[in-house]
Amino acid sequence: MMNTLLFWALAGTAAASALAVVVFRNPVNGVMALLVNLLATAGLYLLMGAPGIALFQVILYVGAVLVLFLFAVMVLDWKTGGPPFVVPLKPLTAGAAAVVLAGGGAAFLAGNRLFPRTGLPEGPPGPGPGIREIALDLFTRHLLVFELASVLLLAAAVGAVLIVRKERKRS
Amino acid sequence: MSLMAVVFTGILLFAVGAAGFVLRGNALVLLLCIEIMLNAVNLVLAGFSRYLYGTEGQVFIFVIMAAGAAAAAVGLAVVAALRRRLGTADMNRINALKG
Repeated sequence: MMNTLLFWALAGTAAASALAVVVFRNPVNGVMALLVNLLATAGLYLLMGAPGIALFQVILYVGAVLVLFLFAVMVLDWKTGGPPFVVPLKPLTAGAAAVVLAGGGAAFLAGNRLFPRTGLPEGPPGPGPGIREIALDLFTRHLLVFELASVLLLAAAVGAVLIVRKERKRS
Repeated sequence: MSLMAVVFTGILLFAVGAAGFVLRGNALVLLLCIEIMLNAVNLVLAGFSRYLYGTEGQVFIFVIMAAGAAAAAVGLAVVAALRRRLGTADMNRINALKG
């Protein structure tokens, strides 16, 4: 009961802050709303018995990626005029988004009702996988993916430096 | 909380992120919306990992987080380059592929 209340509170916070990211005109406010969203999602991970993921969410996303976003906002000096909120309601795209959301949810529910044997379990089967099991799995069966991720990060870092630097050299 | 609630939250977050990606013009906000969508996917993966008792979901989350960090780094570099070169990062006003 307590968990359910906490879950819906966190889910509501996450949804509201995601909406705020979309609606705020100033990117700084958007980054701050994303901070709330990421922390709420970290709380959801904790509720779902994934403390390792929650930890990495806070360290990696809040600690690294969001700081990077804040640096970008600070360095680039976004001048924003007009009201603090934008309500970008182009009717066609808004309608398409609503249809996708409703259709996805309805299809999911219908699939769950139609195929009860392949449907969702009602409750969690005991505690979730521990961080030890995940680490063992990551470093044995999924070692290649792990190494590829490190190569990807290296390539991204080098690429980011190159993109910014080339521009500076030309001007 | 049931798995249905988790999946519902994931769909909702993803839809908000996707709508923001389509509707907003500011390139930085587009990157923020991408992060929201990645988080929604991570949430659903964590839920399934919990309810079906598998470690794969959480391994996927690690990889997606690494990919998201890489995307943020490269995306911010591109936004900075666009801003320096064209003086704007409004996607509605950048309509030429040729620099």
